[in-house]
Amino acid sequence: MRKPAVVLAASLLSLTLGGCFGGSPAAEQSAPPQASSGPVEIRYLIGQPESPEDLANIKAGLKMFEAGSNGITVKLDVVPAENMKTILQTQLRSNEGPDVFNYDTGPGFGGALAKAGLIHDLTPAYAKYNWPIYDFAKQRVTFSGKLSGIPSQLEEIGVFYNKDIFAKNGLSEPQNLNDLMAAATKIKETGVIPMTLADKEGWQGGHLLSMALSSEVGSDGMMKFISGETPWNDPAVVNALKVWSDMYEQKLLTPSPTAVGYDNANALFYSGKAAMNPTGSWLAQEIERQSKGKFEVGFIPFPSTTGKGIFSGGLGSGTFVSANSKKIDASEKFLNFLVSPEYGKYSVEKLQDIPAFPVDTSGIKATPLFTQVLADTAKIADGTGDFGYNIDVLTNDAFNNAMSKGIQGIMSGQSDPTKVAESLQKNFKKPTA
Amino acid sequence: MASTTSNAPLVTRRAQRLLGILLVIPVTLMMIFFFILPLGNALVYSVVDFDGISSNPPFIGLANFQEMFADDAVWHALKNNVIWIIIGTITPIVVGLLIALLLWGIERGSLLYRLIFFMPFVLPGVAVGIVWGWIYDPLQGLLNQSLGALGLDALQRGWLGDPTWALYAVLATAIWGGTGFSIVIFISALRNVDTELVDASRIDGANGPARLWFIILPQIMPVFLMVLTLTLVGGFSVFDIIFVMTGGGPADATETIGTYAYDQAFQLSRIGYGTTLALLITVLSVPFAVLINRLQRRLSLQGMGA
Repeated sequence: MRKPAVVLAASLLSLTLGGCFGGSPAAEQSAPPQASSGPVEIRYLIGQPESPEDLANIKAGLKMFEAGSNGITVKLDVVPAENMKTILQTQLRSNEGPDVFNYDTGPGFGGALAKAGLIHDLTPAYAKYNWPIYDFAKQRVTFSGKLSGIPSQLEEIGVFYNKDIFAKNGLSEPQNLNDLMAAATKIKETGVIPMTLADKEGWQGGHLLSMALSSEVGSDGMMKFISGETPWNDPAVVNALKVWSDMYEQKLLTPSPTAVGYDNANALFYSGKAAMNPTGSWLAQEIERQSKGKFEVGFIPFPSTTGKGIFSGGLGSGTFVSANSKKIDASEKFLNFLVSPEYGKYSVEKLQDIPAFPVDTSGIKATPLFTQVLADTAKIADGTGDFGYNIDVLTNDAFNNAMSKGIQGIMSGQSDPTKVAESLQKNFKKPTA
Repeated sequence: MASTTSNAPLVTRRAQRLLGILLVIPVTLMMIFFFILPLGNALVYSVVDFDGISSNPPFIGLANFQEMFADDAVWHALKNNVIWIIIGTITPIVVGLLIALLLWGIERGSLLYRLIFFMPFVLPGVAVGIVWGWIYDPLQGLLNQSLGALGLDALQRGWLGDPTWALYAVLATAIWGGTGFSIVIFISALRNVDTELVDASRIDGANGPARLWFIILPQIMPVFLMVLTLTLVGGFSVFDIIFVMTGGGPADATETIGTYAYDQAFQLSRIGYGTTLALLITVLSVPFAVLINRLQRRLSLQGMGA
């Protein structure tokens, strides 16, 4: 009777251990067999877009590709953006991953996948197709010397404001932080929420710190923080956090920001119940849809104590190919379409999504707000403008967690700027080359 | 050691043994695949530094357990679990029992009442969380608007964003959603209560609380303990409603071990540490479940119960 028991125990143990970490990453294996003939369907995984209209436009873009792809079709999978990390990692680990996926480019996201060998090396494809991606953008998707993805979505973070509410109160565009605080105080007296702010989800905290700190220390100063040269408990960080803390204390933000979700906060701005909305250019299209015929919208950097400030700019995400894909050739052809002039123009015009490669925007019907965003991001691309950084796409997970929870703490009266800055420094990990 | 012998023929005994094995196999397989293997996996994860991606995570011994005991956030989350267990166990049971007693003697419309009270329990937790999130919204929410209409503006607040109130606001939602279960189970148990004993005690002058304590409760005790076990263990592992309504925030104010384990495993890619925290839930909840189960069995053997 002992032998079967031993065999059973050994089987259970091997099943237990085998089930824990899955197979070896693709990088340690030989290349998976490739589909070489017949029609090919590739699976493309993306996070949920801002609106159903955006999703419809993305699908229309895929149809454009399929029309000229010689039999390559794209199956689009959409998952909630907040669950993307969990879903993608699980799928890739179990060799059930998508062929192509859109994902954050930061060290805790695309960087971690590349390090684990789960992303296909696109360096040869870059050479083959001669993709004209901006150099600064290529750096964001280069891990261990390999080009791992196609960077996309140039964006900037600033403050959208309702020009009509400002004009009605005799206010002009804020020229510095004092102007902004004075305008907010005056707007508050009229019963309108000066600045709509959501911090229920927590990720917004990173944007709040990014815009206040970028404006105060400039792009060089930001790079020193991100590289670890300046510690995160520096007075500049404390002061940037204090700006938001003061606005919360003076009731210049949405009441109970930590109880308000992103969509609800945006709805307050769309309905004219709030005068300003601190968020990113990805919302420009939706803001224009919602405000059309109701009020005019402006978009400014978050001001600094001494001037107008600068936008926090950078890349939103990137498109990657799974190392385990059996359709790498078809996937690369799809990527080649995504960086084509034709699709570049389409994504600017229909998705208001600014690619990380030169796009001829002549003839594009753009609203004044989006024209401004286009002009600004062109300066990121050609290096002529001073732009800050969106911190959370460049820092490690533990730091981002400390940032989002710390700022939630400030916005709910549980913490203060000094404590949060100390926590940021404690959790910061210097980026590795 | 004494052994029991059967007078049945050998063929019958073999058939009985075979039947016994056949009947046990499905449950054994389920135990292996849905309990033993996952538990084994969890134990392996808890001694490695697994980030969810690497195929060869380093062995770190008991470091995850050491970190867990020294982690202030764990103690904070445990405190929230204890609050959840105490309020979230007592309230649905007490309210459920009282409503069940009220509905006990009702013949007309009894099905409708049961349907109304049971409805929240069958609703998906995510839907309940989202709808109550709207109710608690600081600006447009029904609760604050109702308080305003009643002139109670001073009580208006951002319920889910206020660290003092957020946990209790979520707990109230969970109680609303879970009480229907207690009601329906208690109503079923009350149907088996010997009403002659209740009538006799009434004639003997026992008042309502005395009848409940000395006559009714002993008769429904095993069912009562079953409801207690389920709500208690649910309190240890609470996750979905908090995750949907606050995500453990603001700034950890509503964090429980379940949400903290999820954060560590899937937000910070620390699967090893997250699994260690999940094991803590098991270690804490299993003794309670076993204890109540033994009590239930003992009462059954004593002939108590509905």
